[in-house]
Amino acid sequence: MPVWLRERCWRQTASAVYLSLPVRGLRVTAANIFCTDQYLKVSIPPFLFEAILYAPIDDTNSTAKIGNGIIFFTLYKKEAAMWDSLTLGNADKEKMQYLRENAVLKAHEKAKEEMEAKKVKKQEHKKYALEATMKLEEAERKRIEDLKEKERQKVTKELELWKKQQEDAEKQKRVHKEGDLREEVEKLKEKKKGKMNKTQIPSEGTSKTRFKPIKGCHGSYGMFSENLKEEQLPAPRSAATIKINFTSRVFPTALRESRVAEEEEWLRKQAEARRTLSADLSELEDLKEEEKNPDWLKEKGNKMFAAGNYLAAVNAYNLAVRLNNKLPLPYLNRAACHLKLRNLHKAIEDSSKALELLTPPVPDNENARVKAYVRRGTAFCQLELYTEGLQDYEAALKIDPGNKTIEKDAEKIRQLIQGTMQDS
Amino acid sequence: EMAAGLDRPQVVSHAQQALNYTLFDCKWVPRSARLLCLGSAARGSGLLQLYELRGGRLALLREIEKAKPLKCGTFGAASLQQRYFATGDFGGNLNIWNLEAPEIPVYSVKGHKEIINSIDGVGGLGIGEGAPEIVTGSRDGTVKVWDPRQKDTPVANMEPVQGESKRDCWTVAFGNAYNQEERVVCAGYDNGDIKLFDLKTMSLRWETNIKNGVCSVEFDRKDVNMNKLVATSLEGKFHVFDMRTQHPTKGFASVSEKAQKSTIWQVRHLPQNRDIFMTSGGAGSLHLWKYEYPAQRSKKDSEGAEMGVAGSLSLLQNVTLSTQPISSLDWSPDKKGLCVCGAFDQTVRVLIVTKLNKV
Repeated sequence: MPVWLRERCWRQTASAVYLSLPVRGLRVTAANIFCTDQYLKVSIPPFLFEAILYAPIDDTNSTAKIGNGIIFFTLYKKEAAMWDSLTLGNADKEKMQYLRENAVLKAHEKAKEEMEAKKVKKQEHKKYALEATMKLEEAERKRIEDLKEKERQKVTKELELWKKQQEDAEKQKRVHKEGDLREEVEKLKEKKKGKMNKTQIPSEGTSKTRFKPIKGCHGSYGMFSENLKEEQLPAPRSAATIKINFTSRVFPTALRESRVAEEEEWLRKQAEARRTLSADLSELEDLKEEEKNPDWLKEKGNKMFAAGNYLAAVNAYNLAVRLNNKLPLPYLNRAACHLKLRNLHKAIEDSSKALELLTPPVPDNENARVKAYVRRGTAFCQLELYTEGLQDYEAALKIDPGNKTIEKDAEKIRQLIQGTMQDS
Repeated sequence: EMAAGLDRPQVVSHAQQALNYTLFDCKWVPRSARLLCLGSAARGSGLLQLYELRGGRLALLREIEKAKPLKCGTFGAASLQQRYFATGDFGGNLNIWNLEAPEIPVYSVKGHKEIINSIDGVGGLGIGEGAPEIVTGSRDGTVKVWDPRQKDTPVANMEPVQGESKRDCWTVAFGNAYNQEERVVCAGYDNGDIKLFDLKTMSLRWETNIKNGVCSVEFDRKDVNMNKLVATSLEGKFHVFDMRTQHPTKGFASVSEKAQKSTIWQVRHLPQNRDIFMTSGGAGSLHLWKYEYPAQRSKKDSEGAEMGVAGSLSLLQNVTLSTQPISSLDWSPDKKGLCVCGAFDQTVRVLIVTKLNKV
């Protein structure tokens, strides 16, 4: 049960009510005071003060001052009128309860409204701030653009001025030269006339007195060579050769630091491959010296392939592979033979083996890799495994995008695939 | 902060021209506001176009077609009056043209078996001493020096020894031409080799390998005692060598920079300030650099031999102009900051670099 605070005194004017509530010794904060437009409560447990006001007040602007053991309320009336009393007449308990709850609800709503209003205001502020910032940045940008533009114009003007100076200078030179030319011609005429008198012609002492025709010179103003300077030039050098060496590089392509590691790996592999002898030597004793050389055998195979003798070519490549199974080219070329012989599975095997051995991919083995993909792709297609075939053709195209033949074939395969898909 | 940025040199785009052929080289005509573009037309012939800068546009003055596509050109050996232009083409031919009468070259030689990749000239334009000479570097692995007064045979030939497989020479440059006798040629190759040939003693003075194909070499000035050499390469790298001190085994000191991910196609020093240079890249960008010398340019090693000390580089500005490589670049010798560049997007661009006085 609260302890009611009943000692209060009040006075009023037409527009305001002044209420003074003693709260001796109690600590009061704003949280203890609850006020709506017609309900006032001060709760400092266990003490309680409550008043249902005679008429509504403007609770937003009304104030409560806490100090000196008193809470001093200044309540601004909504309607300027004199109140008969501070509080409404004795209401029954239910009404009081209802009024209290109503007041609380109202307070809640008001709080909510205030929050909403605050949010909206915050948004507006944010927007405004953003717009202001954007304007500032835009202004800054424009300022810089203007500076740059001014710079550009200044520089253009300077350039035009300089150009004009150039042109004027050239005109001057031309006029000067024309004048000289006329002088020359007259001097020559005089010389011819004055041959008899053998008078000395006062020499000008400059290069311009000597007149030398220049081959390919047209126009009324010729360009005179600086003969004096020419005579001071040293004779052409006596021809000589300097022999040079280059820092060795196996690949014909330019050196790029980032590719060096790959290239070295490829070279190392090739070198190793050459050294490998994987066949059983005893079987090979019957062979001639040249027949023990995988490269020679590969060449032989190539010749037989060119001649259409595919079985013989295969034999040559077989032997090459037996001697050294790390070289990619015998496998690659044997694949081509198998294609011709319609041993499609063997063609696929050999192309795959060749691709395995052609790693890492460097510009040097590009051609070989393209061939391997194309051969394997062809084999797949002939087995009607078009999807796999297309994959290989596309891989080939990736290495050699400019190759029209591969492109055309890839397109054909695509259409085949689409065709079979439509049928099924 | 931005203000500081604007105090740096700015690269201002002044004019550009779309072309209908592949542009390989562009050069200012000395003492003028005109420039030459050369390249390869779609029909397989060579094109030479003369443009003039008028207002903010390039006006085509003249177009000359030749049998073979043109790869490179230089005014370096031309006299100021005649301004004959030397070109190297895809067939290995060196020609010198009088642009007023370009039907027949004033000098012509089939100097190389394959394309002439790079050309340079020295002794002309009132710069430097000694006879005008032209050097060409070719895919056939040789570097040859020509004197326009001597027909058919070069005055110097740098070729591989018998049996040596050739490498592609990608770039050549003259240097050290400070008196009538001295002259060097620097050549860069696709296998990363850089070789320095002394023409006075007709010998190989220095060589090194920078681990990436060498795209462009240039001395900061051709007509002084060789001071600095910049070499650019594949993989976005370039090296600046201090050429004043050659150590008996270590050669020249250098500093290098990896500025971009892609090839650095060209380097060109500002004619009016030899410590500023521009590099052009495979990603269509231009970088403007300044070299700062160290406190001491040389020091003694543990055995008392002199060795050079490399300085440092600072990036003044960079700009991306295109998505295609900028393969050619030339500063105007007459107007500081004015430059022209050509890219593989078939566009030639005239740019002005500002505030170079404040650097």
